[in-house]
Amino acid sequence: MNTQAYIESGILEEYVLGVVSPQEKQEVECLSHIYPEVKAELTRLESTLESYALQHAQNPPRALKDKIFAQMEFASEDDITETEPVLVEESAPESAAEIRIGQQSARPLWALMAVAASVVLALVSSWAVYQLTLTNGQNEKLAAQMKTLQTTADNNQTIASYYRNPDVRIIRMPGLDKAPESTVVALWNQQTQEVFLDVQNLPAAPAGKQYQLWTIVDGKPVDMGVLAQDYAGRVLQMKRANATPAAFAITLEKEGGSPSPTLEEMYVMGKV
Amino acid sequence: MATKKTNYSEEDLVASLKQNNREAYEYLYERYSGALFSVICKVLRDEEKAEDVMQDAFLKIWKSITSYDPAKGRLFTWMLNIARNSAIDAVRSEGRKPILDDITENLDRTEQNASYQPSTSTLDLKALVENLKPERKLLVDLVYFQGYTQEEVSKELNIPLGTVKSRIRTALQDLKLYFNI
Repeated sequence: MNTQAYIESGILEEYVLGVVSPQEKQEVECLSHIYPEVKAELTRLESTLESYALQHAQNPPRALKDKIFAQMEFASEDDITETEPVLVEESAPESAAEIRIGQQSARPLWALMAVAASVVLALVSSWAVYQLTLTNGQNEKLAAQMKTLQTTADNNQTIASYYRNPDVRIIRMPGLDKAPESTVVALWNQQTQEVFLDVQNLPAAPAGKQYQLWTIVDGKPVDMGVLAQDYAGRVLQMKRANATPAAFAITLEKEGGSPSPTLEEMYVMGKV
Repeated sequence: MATKKTNYSEEDLVASLKQNNREAYEYLYERYSGALFSVICKVLRDEEKAEDVMQDAFLKIWKSITSYDPAKGRLFTWMLNIARNSAIDAVRSEGRKPILDDITENLDRTEQNASYQPSTSTLDLKALVENLKPERKLLVDLVYFQGYTQEEVSKELNIPLGTVKSRIRTALQDLKLYFNI
């Protein structure tokens, strides 16, 4: 990824000034989390504006301080030795875990879809048996339909099994500015290192273009393979993750993929 | 424990604030209240009301310090946002528009400042900052200190949005050099 171009685009200045859209805000926070050089520039800009603001300080009247501090209650010395804030910090990953569990259990949709598909399949099958006695022409059509339904049912089963597997880390990649409504979920099996993509929503790739998955490892993008063009509604197996990635992202590249990602064409991204 | 700390690293300061340590808050107030108060005054244009807003903002910082996440940025940036938003809310609650009408007055003033050219020997940091191209400095002040959007600035000053953006960016890069950051 060309982080220099990103830094020079001026978006970090806009972020520090507080004039970015919520999506851009998310993007900057994500990228500064991944790329140390983006974070460094962001911190430099923040320090610059801080110095600038301190330079223009205008002290409030002395009495105001007492008035404000009279309304505050502080920890006593004893309390301070207790490591209270650590507790606060620990609660964050917990709630994140809860959210993840919530997402999983709020997704019996897959199970429902699988069951529904199986029922439909059973109905269609018996109907097919009856129809078999009628015409051969219809047979072929039905066979094709059955195959589609079978694929859908299998697919849903596969997805359900990934989501249920405790070894599988679920990394949700929300859409960035390019296509905010996009959602792709990376399913990373931390035991086998296998990576699958569940493409829930992603605009169709234009002719001559293809989506490519990347992981960010130690601040460097690693190619994880291109997405098959018929990604809609399928689970795609990607390359294995050889190291512990900090994030997953998908960019739109020329057909066949690129050696390094085109940042301006980043569609979705999610932190691990 | 009882020794008064006169300097904190940002990390130590945040940790002590999160522990609700009185000394850390006193240090925070001494170091940053001037910068925050100045921003509030710029938005409100009324020192008396600015004191009330300063009080609200500082109490808000104290109450919500647990929600501050250092991974997302520096403490001052977070505090400035609280102060500026409190000030903008206060202006709006009075049914006033946040001082857009003062822009031209502002512009006149910065142009006057621009004519002041200190000799290089007396050039201190403040002068260097004041010496920033005035139209760029004004844009930074309007957006950073007073919470205008770049679109509002573009419309009110009749400067194309792209120019507003590039001038602000150049101004920040210049400032970065001045402060040697």
